[in-house]
This record gives sequence, structure tokens and C-alpha cells, in this order.
Amino acid sequence: MERSIESIWKEGFLTSEELVVPKIINLYDKKSSHLVDKFARMFRINVKGIVIGAFVVLLLSWLVRIPYMGIGFFIALIPLAYVNYKLMKGLDQIDKTVNSYSYLKSFDTWLKEMISINQKFARVFYPFVLLAVLAGYWFGPIGGDMPGEAFLAGLKHQFPDMLLIFGYPLYLTLAVLLILALVSIFAGRIYMFDLNLVYGRQIQRLKDILADLEELRKNSSF
Amino acid sequence: MSSDFYTSSILPHAAIIIKICRAYTNTEEDFEDYYQEVCLQIWKSRDNFQEQSEWSTWVFRLSLNVSLSLLKKKKNNHQHFASDYSPVELPEERTDNTDDSFKQLYNAIRKLSEVDRGVILLYLEEKSYQEIADIMGTNPNNIGVRIKRIKERLKKILDGKIN
Repeated sequence: MERSIESIWKEGFLTSEELVVPKIINLYDKKSSHLVDKFARMFRINVKGIVIGAFVVLLLSWLVRIPYMGIGFFIALIPLAYVNYKLMKGLDQIDKTVNSYSYLKSFDTWLKEMISINQKFARVFYPFVLLAVLAGYWFGPIGGDMPGEAFLAGLKHQFPDMLLIFGYPLYLTLAVLLILALVSIFAGRIYMFDLNLVYGRQIQRLKDILADLEELRKNSSF
Repeated sequence: MSSDFYTSSILPHAAIIIKICRAYTNTEEDFEDYYQEVCLQIWKSRDNFQEQSEWSTWVFRLSLNVSLSLLKKKKNNHQHFASDYSPVELPEERTDNTDDSFKQLYNAIRKLSEVDRGVILLYLEEKSYQEIADIMGTNPNNIGVRIKRIKERLKKILDGKIN
């Protein structure tokens, strides 16, 4: 007679060695390695990386004589690190002892909030970084010649009739403003691209499991 | 973790922790890692137990959450584990006295989705639909239908109709 799954399960544990308790070794040394912990670790590293990066770019920009770029990057990166440091605190507070759905949902909520805040931040951050690069190359070293002025003088010499606004070529200024506006408009997407490069696979796994759990909660799906 | 806590609060529930960890791992090494991690998390989270449920239910829930998280971590890890390449089966040295049907059933359970594995383990441990629903964060009405589906799928896997 065919045995039921239930009886195979029950009888299996009576005869097998499956229930031998493993030895607990170096439990304190075992790093907490679940998804949320890993995310927190990566996040912490990223925040530190941003701060270190801000100082490195500042130093390098002085060495290559475009300090305004470094200063601009520094001004943009430090608030970015601070905002994400604050977000990290929320990640540490996720309760692991609630049911599976609530646990993953809490993490998902945190993730969405983190993405939303960073997307808003990106609208200012990316154009600002672009402006910092332009400023770096335009103003050159502090107290030295301004490469931007030389470029402008050359342009005026070549196109003496060009339209100017506040002393700058109108069309060039409009082009720069257009690029900055486009970068700001698409900043959210650029940020998502960035995010997916680092956390894409983890985010997808989270979505898959949540979708499965949500299906379980819907009467209509059965 | 004090040995007192381990002996009094974890060891009496070791069987269920082991069953969960085995369902989510394919090698002895991974199993021991999962078991230790679950024990560690129980100890670290013990203050969050609010006695709204049985300690055993709480342990089950936490074991399941930790196992799901570790599984996700492993799948996302760029470093490949040995078990990523090994066929889904129990380690040979542990299966000498093990009933073939039982071995096949365990392997079949491992082929289910992460969530289904949790549901069927709870069912096989004779938890009520209400308890299963509480642990999985759903409602009891859905559990019965889900279990029926899982059992059908398990039967198909055991009969070799699906992989």
C-alpha cells in the first residue's frame, strides 16, 4: 500500500540520523549573515566609501589643479553620506522575530524609502556634480589663469557676433542648462541603474519571495 | 550564548530547527552553518519574545526567517558554495540508516519554493492552519488550499513526473 507523505515524514525521523544535533562551535564568532545584515554591511561600507571618496577627490583635484571640482564633489558627497547614514540606522531596527511576510515587508518598506529619498537627492546631486566638473575645468587652479576665460575669449574672437547673456554665449549657456535639466529629470533613473548594479540581484530575490508570500495571502489566487 | 540558555530554551526545540535547516540546505556544512546561525539569532532576539505565542512557535518562525534570509544570501553571493553544483541529496554518510522514501521526500521538499517548504514543514509538524498562517503572515483559509497544492506537487516529484 502506498504510504502517505505524513507517515513517511513521521517514520523517517524515527529511523534516520537526521535529528542528531550538530555541535555549536564558535557561535560568537559566527557572523550574522542573512540578507538584511548583508545589506547593512554593504550599506555601511558604501557610506564610508562616499566619505573617503569625498576626501580623495578633494585631494586629487588640488593635485591636478582643478580644485573647484574637488570642492564641488566634497560639498555634494558629504550630505549624501549623511543622508544614507541616517537611513542605515533605520535598517538596523528591523525586527527579525515577526512573521516571514512582515519581516520581509519591513525590509521592503525600508528599501523603498531609501530608494525614494536617494532618488530625490539624486535630482540635485547629479546636476551639482556635473556643475562641479564644469567649474573645475572653467576656473582652473585657485589664483591661476582661468581656462574658461581663455576659451570664452577664443570663442568671441571666432564668432564676434554671437549673442551673449551675462557675458556668456547664449546658446552655450542654454545647452548647459538643458543638459543640467535633463540630468535632473532623469536622475531617478540614473540612480536606479546605479543601485541595480550593486544590489540588483538581492532586490530581485526579495521581490520574488514577497510576490510568493503575497500570492499566499490572496484568496482569489487559489 | 550561555550553555544554560542553549540547554533550556533551544535544545528542547532542536528537532524542529534541524528539520527546517535540513529543508533549506543540501550539504552537511551548510546545514551546520544554518543551525548555528538560527541558534545565534534565537539568543540575540530572545528579548523580543512577547509570550503572545508559544515559545516553540516563535522558535519555528525565527528559524524559518533566518533560513530564508541565509538562502537568499547564498543565492546572491558571488562566491559559489559547493552545494550550488551538487545534486540535491542527503550527504551519503548520514543516509545509511535512512529510509529511501524518507530520503526522497526530503529531496522533494527541497525542490519546492522557499515559501512552500516552510508551509509543508509546518504542516508535517502537525501545526494547525491558524498557527501556520500566523507564522507565515497569511490567513488560515489560504493555507488548506496551498497545502493541497504542495502535496500534489510533492507527489508528482516523488512519482518522477516533474523534477
